[in-house]
Amino acid sequence: MSSPPRHATFTIDPALLARVVKGDQQAFSQLYDHSNTLLYTLALRILGNREEAAELLQDVYLEVWRKVARYDVGRGTPVAWLVTLTRSRALDRLRDRTGRGPQYKDSLDGDAAARMPDLGPSPFETQADQELRVLVGQAISALPAAQQQAIELAYYEGLSHMEIATKLNQPLGTVKTRIKLGMAKLRDTLRTYWEQGDVT
Amino acid sequence: MTHEELEEAVPLYAAGALERTERQAFEAHLLSGCAACHAALKEYQSVAALLPFGLSPVQPPRSLKAKTMASRNLLPVAPESSAKEPPRPSLEPGEWMNHLFPPIAPARSGSLPWVIGFASLLVLGGAGYLGWNYVTQLSSDSIKLEQFSARLQEQSVKLASVQRELAERERTLFELREDMHKRTLDFAELKDQIIQREAELDDLHNQLAATSKRGRTIQDELAVLLRVPDIQAVSLAGGDMAKGAGGVLLFDSRTQKLWLYAVNLPECPTGTTYQLWAIGDKPTSVGTFHMDSGETAHMLVKRLPDFSKAKQFAISLEPAGGRPQPTGTVYLKGSL
Repeated sequence: MSSPPRHATFTIDPALLARVVKGDQQAFSQLYDHSNTLLYTLALRILGNREEAAELLQDVYLEVWRKVARYDVGRGTPVAWLVTLTRSRALDRLRDRTGRGPQYKDSLDGDAAARMPDLGPSPFETQADQELRVLVGQAISALPAAQQQAIELAYYEGLSHMEIATKLNQPLGTVKTRIKLGMAKLRDTLRTYWEQGDVT
Repeated sequence: MTHEELEEAVPLYAAGALERTERQAFEAHLLSGCAACHAALKEYQSVAALLPFGLSPVQPPRSLKAKTMASRNLLPVAPESSAKEPPRPSLEPGEWMNHLFPPIAPARSGSLPWVIGFASLLVLGGAGYLGWNYVTQLSSDSIKLEQFSARLQEQSVKLASVQRELAERERTLFELREDMHKRTLDFAELKDQIIQREAELDDLHNQLAATSKRGRTIQDELAVLLRVPDIQAVSLAGGDMAKGAGGVLLFDSRTQKLWLYAVNLPECPTGTTYQLWAIGDKPTSVGTFHMDSGETAHMLVKRLPDFSKAKQFAISLEPAGGRPQPTGTVYLKGSL
């Protein structure tokens, strides 16, 4: 029995989603296999709770199953759509639990591995995924800690720049600059990746 | 916001760091078809989509896939095609994704009048939609309010009806309790009466028992004997010693009861007594009786043990206490 062809998570074929739109359960299963680790990692980073992250991931996939017809290949990659949906739903849930923050914090820096056990490559993680993970990790690690922190608070905790400024007790302009500079550096570092693969 | 400010907002927008009003202003700007901002956003959105790849990967529970697939099978409808979704509290992915890769045609056309016209149409359409939506919402709210009022009134009427029914039931319950109390009193009174009647009945029983113990009078016995249909009577005539004496003897063969009425018999001398005999094959003593001075008549009631064979009856004067066989003079005699 031959195994299905593997795709890198970041390069999930839009045709796979087109098959899911038609109700192809095998395609949905493959979509799950290719994206579940990334999306679960994201949900866990935002919510800080494994059970809640698993629950959210189930909801996200059910929403994908229902709304996959809305996906427009002309507007973004499948993984960008999945990441956006997962982040949005996780932040919704995070805001719902008022007065209760995440139980632990990961960060974009190299200390993450110490607090979040690295279970090694996923059975579905391809060589390209591993390379991308290293590339993104290095790009983020290269950022100054203040820029990492500002981006992290916005992206993973859903805070606005004003909320970040208040939280860090920093001037608003400083926070904005940190985010802009950090995002610009990441863009410059990672641009070569998506330009080479034309994955966006 | 100036265009320079908007351009600077692109990385903040991609990272999700803009305030709501800023985000809305930026999105409005994007709708105007600014090619530079669209291009910048495309790159920054790509950065944002890559950020999770920098996390140390954690695999979800192995059972999650099976649960997800099973839950998906429970959904009533497979992937939607055009179903409407309820509003969500935050940015829809579609909303964000709409700007990942903006429509190219407006940006590339460079036709300012067309863009302005399009934007104006969009604004007018949006305003019209909002206005229509507001009016529709207002009308819908009014209708809902009226419906709620009607329901409230209806529920109030029902509540009043229920309260009346409750009061009625309470009144009925009170009456039933009163009736029960009264009946309880009546029952207690009846019970006292029964106890009293039982006591009276006991007295009567005692009296009856006492009466029975005393025995029936001779008159009672005669009355009973006379009511027997096949009663037999024997006339007794005086012998030589008592020519003026006489008597009658009645007996019932079924009950073996005998009744004797004797008159004008002489007074029994001291140490003697009259003895009645039933004579069949041989004389059998029926009983004794005594005639004192001044008595002219006597009644005797006895039970005859061997009555069936008796053909004659006689009364003789015997020594006191009687004798097994006749030894004295016969004063009265009669035959069947």
